Amino acid sequence: MGVLVALWGQRLRRDRWQLASWIAAIGVFALFAAAAVTQTYGNVASRTEILQVAIATPAVLMLRGLPRGADQGAFTFFLIYAFLALLAGLMSTFLVVRHSRADEETGGAELVAATPAGRLLPNTATVLHGITANVLVALAVFAGFRSQGLDAQGSLTAGAATGAVGLSFLGVGLLVAQFMGTSRGANGVSASLVVLAYLLRGIGDATGTPGADGTTMTEGAASWFSPIGWGQQTFAFSGDRGWPLLLPAGLGVASLAAAWLILGARDTGASIWEARPGRANARRGLRSPVALALRLQAGSITGWGVSGLALGLLAGSLGKAIAAVDTPDTNVTAMLRAMLQSQGTSLTQLMVSVLFSMAGVLAAACALQAVIRLRQEEAAGTAELLLSTPVGRMRWLAGYLLLGAAAVVLVVGLAGVGAWTTLTGTGDESMPADALWQTALAQLPAALIYLSVPALVFVLWPAATIAASWALLALGVMLGILGAMLGIDQSLRNLSPFAHTPVPHGDATDWSGAWWMLLIAVAAAALALAAMRRREVGPA
Amino acid sequence: MNTVVQTVGLYKHFGRVRALDGLDLDVQKGEIHGFLGPNGAGKSTTLRVLLGLARATSGSATVLGFEPWTQAVDLHRRLAYVPGDVRLWPNLSGGETIDLLSRLRGGTADGAAYRRRKDRLCQVFDFDPARKGRTYSKGNRQKVALIAALATDAELYLLDEPTSGLDPLMEEVFRRELLAAVDRGATVLLSSHILSEVEVLCHRVSIIRAGRIVDGGTLDSLRHLTRSEVSFAADGLDADALARLGAVHDLTLDAGRVRFSADSDRIAEVLPALGSLGVQGLTIVPPSLEELFLRHYGERVVGAEPGAATPSEPHHGSRRHLLGARGRN
Repeated sequence: MGVLVALWGQRLRRDRWQLASWIAAIGVFALFAAAAVTQTYGNVASRTEILQVAIATPAVLMLRGLPRGADQGAFTFFLIYAFLALLAGLMSTFLVVRHSRADEETGGAELVAATPAGRLLPNTATVLHGITANVLVALAVFAGFRSQGLDAQGSLTAGAATGAVGLSFLGVGLLVAQFMGTSRGANGVSASLVVLAYLLRGIGDATGTPGADGTTMTEGAASWFSPIGWGQQTFAFSGDRGWPLLLPAGLGVASLAAAWLILGARDTGASIWEARPGRANARRGLRSPVALALRLQAGSITGWGVSGLALGLLAGSLGKAIAAVDTPDTNVTAMLRAMLQSQGTSLTQLMVSVLFSMAGVLAAACALQAVIRLRQEEAAGTAELLLSTPVGRMRWLAGYLLLGAAAVVLVVGLAGVGAWTTLTGTGDESMPADALWQTALAQLPAALIYLSVPALVFVLWPAATIAASWALLALGVMLGILGAMLGIDQSLRNLSPFAHTPVPHGDATDWSGAWWMLLIAVAAAALALAAMRRREVGPA
Repeated sequence: MNTVVQTVGLYKHFGRVRALDGLDLDVQKGEIHGFLGPNGAGKSTTLRVLLGLARATSGSATVLGFEPWTQAVDLHRRLAYVPGDVRLWPNLSGGETIDLLSRLRGGTADGAAYRRRKDRLCQVFDFDPARKGRTYSKGNRQKVALIAALATDAELYLLDEPTSGLDPLMEEVFRRELLAAVDRGATVLLSSHILSEVEVLCHRVSIIRAGRIVDGGTLDSLRHLTRSEVSFAADGLDADALARLGAVHDLTLDAGRVRFSADSDRIAEVLPALGSLGVQGLTIVPPSLEELFLRHYGERVVGAEPGAATPSEPHHGSRRHLLGARGRN
C-alpha cells in the first residue's frame, strides 16, 4: 500500500502544474459560459429566439450541442458541455499516455518495475491519478455553474457528465498505449478518438429531429456512438438522467480491463504493434535538414491534413442538409434567410466560414507543432548531432519554418478541396467557388502567426516553447472564436489573431486584418531567424 | 600550420557557475590528443565551444583556422563529431541516420566507395543498420555516431567519451579504426575518463580540472614529474644497507620485499646503490596515467565547490572513486 501511495504521489507531483491548468481551464470555461448566458441571454424570450435560430442552423448545433429547452441551465449546458467534455477527454488521454507509454519509452517504467512496485502497480497508480483528476474536473464544472446561480442538481449532473467522459477516455488512452510503440503515436491516436467522439456527437446533433416547441431536439443516431454524446444524454437542467453515465463508465471499465489483460501478458517496453524493421540505407531524398524535418513530421502533418479535409467535406455538405431540415417555426428561418440575403451571403457561406475557422485552428495547431518539434529535437540531443554537420542554425530553423508554412497551406487547402467536392457533389450553388477559396485563403494569416510567434519564443526562451505555444493557441481560441459566446469584451477579443480573420462576403470584404497579420507573421519569422544566429543550441 | 585546435583563456559561464575557467588547449596536427578529466570538469562544454554550438563567454578558440561560433558551417565540413551520449531519431533506422549524417557532411560524393566503407564499418562493429533508432541499446547508438564519423574522411575528429557503452571487443575495433584514420593524416581530440584507453592511444594529453588545464604534455614528460615504484627481495639486507640508498621515499619492508618510490627523473642515481647491494628480483614500475591523474584529483572532496580544492597528493577515498569509474571499462 505504501508503494502505491508513493507512486500515486509521484504522479501528482509530476503533473501538478499541468493538471491544475487543465482543471482550472475547464472550470473557468464553465463559469464564463454560465456568466455569459446570464449577461447576454438573460430572459427566456431571447433564449427561445436564439435556440430557434440554432435549430435552423445545424452548423451551430454541430459546434454546440443538443438544445433541450430555453431554461437558463439547459441553455448553458447546450452551449458549453461538448467543449468541456472534449477538454476532459484530451486531458485524460494525455495524462494516461504520459504515465504509461511515455514512461516506458524513456526507460523510467523499467526503473520502477525493477523495484518491488513491479509492472502492474504503477498502472494502478496511473488509473487512480486519472480518476482523481476527473473527479476534480467534475467538481470544477459543478463549481463553475453553481457560482453563477445555476440549479445545484443540474450543475452536479453536468459535472458528472464531463468527468465521466474523461474517465472513459482514461481507459481508451491506456488501451491505445498498449498497441502503440511510441508515446507520440499513442497520443496521436487517442486524441484523434476524442476528436472523433466530438464530431460524431456533432453530426448526431445536427441531424436530429426538432421538437414541437422549437427549442428542443431529439438527437440523431450518430450521437449514440460517442462518449461525449452519452454525457449529453444526461439532459442536465432538463430532466437530469443518471443512467446514460453507465455507458461512459462501462466503456472506461471495459477498456481498462482489456488494457490489464495485455499488460499482464506483455514485456515492459513492448507493444502489440511493434516497430517494423527499417531500411539499411536511406532513400536518395534524405539529404537535407528539410527532408529530415519532413520525414519526422510526415505522420502528424498527414493527420492534420486529413482533419482539414474532413472539416471541408462536412462544411460543403451541410448547406443542402439545412434545406432538408423541417423547422417548425418558419418565421425564424425566413427571417434568418432574409437577414443573410441582405448581407449578400447565404446559409452555406455562413457555415463554411464557421467550419473553416476551425480548419484555421487546426492549421495553427499543425504549425506550432512544427516549432515544438524543433524544441524537442534540441532537448533530446538529436539537434546537436545534426548541427555538428555543415548545417547552420539559421538554415535548420528556416527549414522548419518553411515546412510549417507549407503544412498550414496544405491543411487549409485540403479543407477547401473537401468543401468544393461536397458543394459540387450535392449541387449546392449558393456558394460560388471564388467565395469558397477566399474563405480558405482568409484563414492563412492567423495560422501563420502561430508558426512564427512560437518560433520567436523558441529562439528567445527555448524552455518555454511547448507550454507557451499551446497556451497562446488556447488563449487565441478562447478570445477569438469562443469570445463572443463567453461574453468577453471586444477589446480583449481583438488580442486574438482569429478575431482578425476576414469574413469574405462579396466585394465588401475587409482584408486589412489579413495583411496586418501577414506582416506580423513575416516580421516575427525574420526576427526569429536573425536572433537564431546569436543563439546557442543545447539541451539546457 | 600545424596547430589544429587552439584555445586561449577560454571562459564559459552558466549563470554563476564557471564551466570553463581560462582553458588553454593546444592540439597539433596528426596527433591523438587525450582530453582527460572526471565528470563535470568541463570536457563536453569545451567540445561544444569547439563545435560552435556554445559561445565562449570570453577568450578565443580556433579550430582548423576557423572561429567556431561564426564559421561553424565551414568548420563542420572538415570535422566529425561523436557525442558522449548519442541520441537518435526514433523512427529513422541506424543505416538511414548514418547516411543522412554522411551526406550532410558531403562525405558520400564518391557513391559506391562510401557504401563500401559504410558496409565494412557496420561489419567490423557488428552493427545491424536496419533497426529503428528507438530499439538500439546505448552501445549500438554509440556505434551509429562512430560509423557515421569514420565513414567520411575528416581532418579532425572530436570524440566525447566515444567508447562509453561499447564492449571491450568493440573498444578494440574502435582503437584500430581510429589509428587507421590517424594514419590517413587525421587529428583526434579524444575526451575520456578511461585512463587505459588514453594511455594506449594518445600521443599527448591535457588534464582538465574545474574548467582549467592543470597539466599536459606527452605521457613521458608527465611521468618525469612523478615517482616510479621500486621493489626487490629483502633477503640478507639490513637496515644499514638500505639507509645508503639515498633519495628514496616511503621505504617499507613487507612480506619479504623491500619497496620504495623514487623520483622518475632521478632513478638513475639509485641504480648504482641497488647494484652494490646485489638485489634480487628487482622490479621498477613507471607511474601509470592513473597515478598522474590521482595526483591532480586526489584531494577532490565529493560535493566540494568546483575550483575550491587544490591539487595535491592522492588519498585513498578518491582512489576508490576513480577505480569505480575505471570499472566500466
